[in-house]
Amino acid sequence: MKAFEYATAHSTASARELVAGNGAYLAGGNDLLGLLKEYLVSANILVNIKSLPGLDKIERGEKHWSIGSLVTVAQIEDDMEIKKVFPGLHEAASDVASQQIRNVATVGGNLAQHSRCWYFRQRDVPCLKKNGDLCYARNGENRYHSLFTGNPCISPVVSSLATIFTSLDATAIVLRDGKEIRLSMAELYQRAWENPLAHNSLNHGDLILRVEIPTARNRSAYMQVSDKHAFDWALVSCAAAAEVVAGKLKSPRVALGSISPVPHQVEAANHFLDGKVLDAATATQAADLILKDAKPLEHNAYKMPIAHALIRRTLLKLKGTA
Amino acid sequence: MSNWPTETKYISHATTRIDAPAKLTGKARYASDIQAEGWLYGMILRSKWPAAKILSINLEAALKIPGIKAAVTVKDGPRTIRFYGEELAAVAGTSKQACLDALRAIEVQAEPRHDFVVNEAEARKENAAQVWEGSPNSSKPQVRESGSVDTAFPECAAVVEGFYSTPIQIHHPMETHGNTISWTDDGVKAWASTQGISSVRDGLAGALQLNHSQVRVVTEYMGGGFGAKFGAGVEGILAAKLSKAAKAPVRLMLTRFEQALAVGNRPSSFQKIKIGATADGMLHAFEAENYGTAGIGGGGDGGGGGGGADITLPYLYKVPNSRVKQSVVAVNAGGARAFRAPGNPPASFGMESVMDDLAVKLGMDPLEFRLKNDPNPIRQREYKLGAEKFGWKQKYSKPGSSPGVVKIGVGCAAGAWPAGGGSSDTQGEAQINPDGSIEFRLGVQDIGTGTRTVIAVIAAELLGLKPEQITVKVGDTNYPPGPGSGGSTTCPSISPTVFDICQKALAQLQTQSGLADARGANWFAACKKLGVSPLVVHGKWQRGLSADRACGVQFAEVEVDTETGLVTVKKILGVHDCGLIINKLTLESQINGGIIMGMGYALYEERVMDDLSGVMLNPNFETYKLPGIADVPNIDIVLINMPERGVIGIGEPATIPTAGAIANAIANAIGVRVCSLPITPAKILAALGKVPPVTT
Repeated sequence: MKAFEYATAHSTASARELVAGNGAYLAGGNDLLGLLKEYLVSANILVNIKSLPGLDKIERGEKHWSIGSLVTVAQIEDDMEIKKVFPGLHEAASDVASQQIRNVATVGGNLAQHSRCWYFRQRDVPCLKKNGDLCYARNGENRYHSLFTGNPCISPVVSSLATIFTSLDATAIVLRDGKEIRLSMAELYQRAWENPLAHNSLNHGDLILRVEIPTARNRSAYMQVSDKHAFDWALVSCAAAAEVVAGKLKSPRVALGSISPVPHQVEAANHFLDGKVLDAATATQAADLILKDAKPLEHNAYKMPIAHALIRRTLLKLKGTA
Repeated sequence: MSNWPTETKYISHATTRIDAPAKLTGKARYASDIQAEGWLYGMILRSKWPAAKILSINLEAALKIPGIKAAVTVKDGPRTIRFYGEELAAVAGTSKQACLDALRAIEVQAEPRHDFVVNEAEARKENAAQVWEGSPNSSKPQVRESGSVDTAFPECAAVVEGFYSTPIQIHHPMETHGNTISWTDDGVKAWASTQGISSVRDGLAGALQLNHSQVRVVTEYMGGGFGAKFGAGVEGILAAKLSKAAKAPVRLMLTRFEQALAVGNRPSSFQKIKIGATADGMLHAFEAENYGTAGIGGGGDGGGGGGGADITLPYLYKVPNSRVKQSVVAVNAGGARAFRAPGNPPASFGMESVMDDLAVKLGMDPLEFRLKNDPNPIRQREYKLGAEKFGWKQKYSKPGSSPGVVKIGVGCAAGAWPAGGGSSDTQGEAQINPDGSIEFRLGVQDIGTGTRTVIAVIAAELLGLKPEQITVKVGDTNYPPGPGSGGSTTCPSISPTVFDICQKALAQLQTQSGLADARGANWFAACKKLGVSPLVVHGKWQRGLSADRACGVQFAEVEVDTETGLVTVKKILGVHDCGLIINKLTLESQINGGIIMGMGYALYEERVMDDLSGVMLNPNFETYKLPGIADVPNIDIVLINMPERGVIGIGEPATIPTAGAIANAIANAIGVRVCSLPITPAKILAALGKVPPVTT
């Protein structure tokens, strides 16, 4: 990696100031250090944000919970109340990488992580996401790539937390130009849908402060399928959340990861599920709706049956916990 | 036949590794731990092109980077590059960062070639780019034929055909390739991570034009090699050149990225097999056509021997009418090297798959079918023992008959390792001191299999001492010469040698001390009579104490989720023989390791090359997937101790049958066969017909 300066910020204002120009925020470092070592990003200064006050807290309100961006994935996994209130969030956190990575990985870092596309990560491939001329994956080795995209790049979002947060209708509170703005999960990733160079909608200097999760959906579930049983990226991940009243779903949301540059959700499916009592047939219909416009490529069509199975299973799990 | 003792205290029992405390406390010094006085980091610049003409390499800018003490090229002047990751130049400096900066400062004038080919099927096409200009990528098929194949097939009651393929597997030992080398006027000292200190010594001496006595290679501890670490390697020669230029020791250990590209792999195989049996279930006709790649060399080995792309078919079975065509194909990718049981895991996978399919077609139990056709009495015994312990009769049912979404299946497969015997050149010595301490010195190396412990166990047994009373020194070319650790030959080479040393030591000690039996309780009294001079005894390998040809069968039980394609291995049972068991504990470790490696081959591992850019896409442990602890099932091991055969090596046999057994268990579970390794969820779902067609 290239030489860089290092500074610790003690206020968000100084963090913003330090990172301006060509700096990068450093929290867990799982993604950033890899990117630097492979010369995929460069930074003249790393701004340690781990000492920023207040961002490592979980606040448990009646209407919503707030999870600070410096809360680690392991903290979420180990929090027994989260397991009760947002079981899907607990499950998603448990499936992230390995224990060692979860111990240092933060919520903010998980959401802001860059593409894992193996062409993007290959130091000598000048792919579209690195300002190159073409997406090598499109006609190449695309087994881990998207079924949906709004641009020529087919690199999917792989954040497990983004998948579950989407189903829970969580909001990211981001410090932008000195002001707090609120982004839905869809908004947080929208730019990656449109622009091959983007991994998310964050601008340089934007800092995720916390994630607010409404408590209205009292049932949630998360499942993923990987090639291996642990410490492996999801081939497909799926999250579902809803309020269950007298066996009926209220305001249900289903979201999928690793099949689109954004957490994949289909409004028609959420609408279809609203007010329904879940059974296998309903879950199947929802899965059909969610995957209707998928555009599988040469090597990733196998994600279709996996996604279909995961949607059905995750929905039925939602029912099971009701 | 063998003279090994029959009543034993240590041999065939379980002794904890004598070097376990050193390993667990970090006291053990691996090649990558060596910090020689004034050492520098070394790093290699590699080609970022899969094919190119290198015109010139300018090191000047690199040498100006602060901290850089030396820079050398692999070869001066123009040269041709044939794979992504091929070595171009190297630098040595006082920090990693200085070296990284220097690599980026080296100016390479090159003409990248756009006609390259990195995958086998493409390379076989008529108009494919040629890896070696002017010569076709594919070799002419070698044909071996016996009996009358064409008349034999019509005589068969059942015939099946299949196309079985295995990927390029990377060795990926936990410690990467590399060494620390110090080249002074006195000669070269290399601390190498190697399986063959002698072959590295000879390789370095040859490349550096020194005589053998000027080169000393030391390998106290090393973190695995699996066949890829026999030679000095380009990285060794570069480290030496850098050391000479910088006048300082240079430590050059490869990164994981480099490990994936340029220091060996297991060749791929593409096996088209047709096989037939008579109504009574006897194999009658066989035809196979196989090709694979060993990288740029086509079929050839990439260094160290034994890494060719040919495989033996019909493997361990005898078919009276057989025709086998073998060819190899060159691609622009890193060359192969010997890899744990070269040629055997792919052959076992192909044959054991087609055997199961034929059994199904004949309506026979696959185990019964094997017992009918496997000519080896030891494997017959192993199959029966294993079936009993595994509960084969209770567990086996017709393919695809397991109910529900998550289906259960069982399978079995076998291996036949033709080597594993001792090297007759092995020598060693022991120094017995008047205080009763004893030190063995052998110029062999411990590649992680427990060589020191084997020596201590045998010496303790024969001398009537405890293993912890034996000091063992290995891994130094200043000691009497030992074998390279390949072909599962280490244990059968050193065991008879230690036996010989002990016999001679006792004889001499008894003569000198006047005691009739110097063993055990008399040991210290006998040693004391040596006076002031230690007794040094030299011994060598003796016939009649070791043998070769281990067998081995394995059984697998799996669960397959037919909606997601996820395979969960629930159980593996390995039934293995290796003649006289020296130490059960390290032996079981070897088998566990072999089975886990076989699981990786079956389910996860695969080198992925990109046709368009020519690079490897998974040169890391993120997407080159290895089994983790969550993937590994209960492994049961049944050992057959056969002291009458003498000592046989086990390292390689243990990994051979695993992929075939797992593949058969999966086919048994889901009722269709996945013919291609690794068996991923994608392939399971495709085999089940659940993947929608793609229209692009």
